[in-house]
Amino acid sequence: MPIDHKRINPPEDAVPYKLFTKLNTKSSQEQYQQILDKNQIRKDGRHASEHRKIYMKTGVIAHAKGSAYIEQGQTKIVASVFDPREIPNRLDYCLKGEVYCDFKFAPFSCPKRRLHQQDSQEKEYSSIMKKALEAAICRHEFPNFQVDVYVLVLHNAGSALSAAITAAGAALASAGIPMFDIITSSTLAIQGKDVLLDPDFEEETLSEIAIEKEHGIIVISVLATHDQISHFHQVGNLPLNVVSDSIDILHKSCKEIVPLVQKCVIRSVLAGISET
Amino acid sequence: MPLCDAEKTFVLHGVDANMRIDGREREDYRPMELETDVVSHAFGSARLRLANTDVLVAVKIEVDSPFPEKPFEGKLEFFVDCSANATPDFEGRGGENLAVELSNCLASAYRSNEALDLKKLCIMKGRKCWKLYVDILLLEVGGNLFDAVSIAVKSALYNTQIPKIKSIHVDGSQIDIQVCDDIFSCTRLDISGAPLMVTVCKIGEHCIVDPNAAEEQCSVGAVVVAVSRGCLSTVLQTGTGSFHPKTLKECLKLGFSVAQNLEDSLMETLGEIKPNQDVGFLK
Amino acid sequence: MAESFRVLHPIKYYRDYIASNVRPDGRGLHKFRPVLVNIGSIQTADGSALAKVGDTTVICGIKAELCTPKPECAREGFLIPNVELPPLCSPKFRPGPPSDEAQVASQLLANIVKNSKCINLQELCLFPEKLAWCLFADIICISYDGSLMDACIIALMAALKSVQLPVVDYDPAADSRLVNEEEKKSLNIKSVPICSTFSIFDEKVVLYDPTDEEESLCSSTFNIVVREDQLSSVHKPGGAPISDEKLFECIKVSKERASTICKLIETAIHENNT
Repeated sequence: MPIDHKRINPPEDAVPYKLFTKLNTKSSQEQYQQILDKNQIRKDGRHASEHRKIYMKTGVIAHAKGSAYIEQGQTKIVASVFDPREIPNRLDYCLKGEVYCDFKFAPFSCPKRRLHQQDSQEKEYSSIMKKALEAAICRHEFPNFQVDVYVLVLHNAGSALSAAITAAGAALASAGIPMFDIITSSTLAIQGKDVLLDPDFEEETLSEIAIEKEHGIIVISVLATHDQISHFHQVGNLPLNVVSDSIDILHKSCKEIVPLVQKCVIRSVLAGISET
Repeated sequence: MPLCDAEKTFVLHGVDANMRIDGREREDYRPMELETDVVSHAFGSARLRLANTDVLVAVKIEVDSPFPEKPFEGKLEFFVDCSANATPDFEGRGGENLAVELSNCLASAYRSNEALDLKKLCIMKGRKCWKLYVDILLLEVGGNLFDAVSIAVKSALYNTQIPKIKSIHVDGSQIDIQVCDDIFSCTRLDISGAPLMVTVCKIGEHCIVDPNAAEEQCSVGAVVVAVSRGCLSTVLQTGTGSFHPKTLKECLKLGFSVAQNLEDSLMETLGEIKPNQDVGFLK
Repeated sequence: MAESFRVLHPIKYYRDYIASNVRPDGRGLHKFRPVLVNIGSIQTADGSALAKVGDTTVICGIKAELCTPKPECAREGFLIPNVELPPLCSPKFRPGPPSDEAQVASQLLANIVKNSKCINLQELCLFPEKLAWCLFADIICISYDGSLMDACIIALMAALKSVQLPVVDYDPAADSRLVNEEEKKSLNIKSVPICSTFSIFDEKVVLYDPTDEEESLCSSTFNIVVREDQLSSVHKPGGAPISDEKLFECIKVSKERASTICKLIETAIHENNT
């Protein structure tokens, strides 16, 4: 790897100590069997179809136009939105404004240390987020301008992408960017016959591996008022009917988050009014 | 070239009447030409021409060490290169976003072990494995890139020959791998699960497959459906539009059935290809 | 009205305020902003802390990895502090490689940590020449509003104090390592350096704990690092000069503040453990 002259460099051969623990010997099958008991109750006491509790707050970053902090179970994410600015290096006029998304995991946010440069997963998440948010923003309201949305994951305990989209939506709303609707997002992990809503990190990782033939992860984001799915993303190996059923489950779960985001946005508006 | 409103209306009416501007029905593909084994230095290659879309895929193989968390698995990496000649939009750095999107989509479609069993690429547990580099070169863009690329990648992997290992010497941390001397004794990959992607485009009230460049401009949203062994391996949305859940389900259903037909005809075609056929534009 | 005046003539705006011995945010000239410390909220890290100084929020996560020591110091482990100023925290920063300010902050922080000898790197070595701990301390600014170094050091020191490292059995003959995660021990932190930032406005007025706006309007900003009632370092990179007596005054104040903040960190650690 090339040396990064702009940072303080660690020794090159550093490896995570987790590789040398005794617990590392369990196979993924064994790990998976412990995730759900016979009564569909998960390790953390949730039912398979139960979403984790969400805590949300806007206005956490002093100099951002809009910002939001979300805590979904242990997953902690901050999102910030800045004033629209002219699109850099662009000569022709474009009718619709652009959205720039930057998704980043903090180096210490995952069990394995992340690097400072954006890796391919972060790039993929950035582009998914961009597509999900573009459908929610009235881009014709600010032609030739660009809105920057930044997301930083402080602690990834699963479903980071959907939590990030929900937080970014709240940040956009609190920044006063014109939007069609509040955007919420939800994740589903499937392994065999088990369907887990809002998976944590372990459940998410295990659902990506083929333990049973049918496995996968689905993330959707929804504009609830108009019943529109602004983004849909699935990976894994799932039959068509399972995916169709999952859309309904996720759609419902996304709708349940809406009042929470609404409350949060209303609170930030009220705070703004009382200030002036 | 951006279309004017009148042209867009024409395309839309055509889709409505199930008679698209190039005479196809909504579920029809354009004619395809497929060649394999076109790049002599690669371990496997394929070139696909789907009407105006032209894609060249080459597979390279190297010996690498596996990821510490997946000691039993080999590695697979996709790299998309957009030729500046492919479309005027690719001048400068214009193609970069598309290239990233394509390679991400391929990577997530192949992520499941059901799609391509990476365990077959393991040489020695935790120490050595094969790494496949799949290089995709877009020569010309005439719409429907995702489908064309997935077909070309599958064909190239079908064509790929992995050298047989004769012996492995382990001396402390040094591992010496001897490859079989006979260049014709190679193993082939099992590509029965390699996913095919179908782009379903929503134009007006209807969904179509294989949109050409003009139809792509008229669509409000598109879904890429990757199908492997009768299951969906990846679904993602391209473009900016949003879908009603019902429409989305219809799109998935259409994409799924079209992909299965496509899979059958592709496997039939690949079966017809005999070794050492002397065809191809680079030969 | 006042807002547009602030934007158009920021210096004049500040001068008017400072003439009546008060700052636009309501603080007196010699007042610090409230400090908040939260420890151990990130479970994926081996140690973590969040520090808030006014509206400046900084989070530090420490991840430990195993590595081989450098041949020139075969008995030492590593502590790699990196300050990250992501575009998220302020409109001042753009995406891409670390800005100059982030590089300066990282280096300054590394120097402070090294000079104050708060941690003995030899204790991070598990077996000479073979195995050592490498502590990655990533300090990320979430909200930027001046006095960055103060918050960074508080976050780093609090995070270091909360680090729990597993016990490693190393067999040099077979080069085998076994990590026992059930048995953990904390680091031995010898001393806690505390940094205080000051700005000089109009070449004579000293503002304590400046905000981002104040820092950008002031002609000079300097840091004083104090460790256990002793002056550790003064970092004043040029700018307007300052008289001896004012500097001594600042050092005195920094010492008082340092002992309060040290107590704060101790309380936070204590609360986290119980």
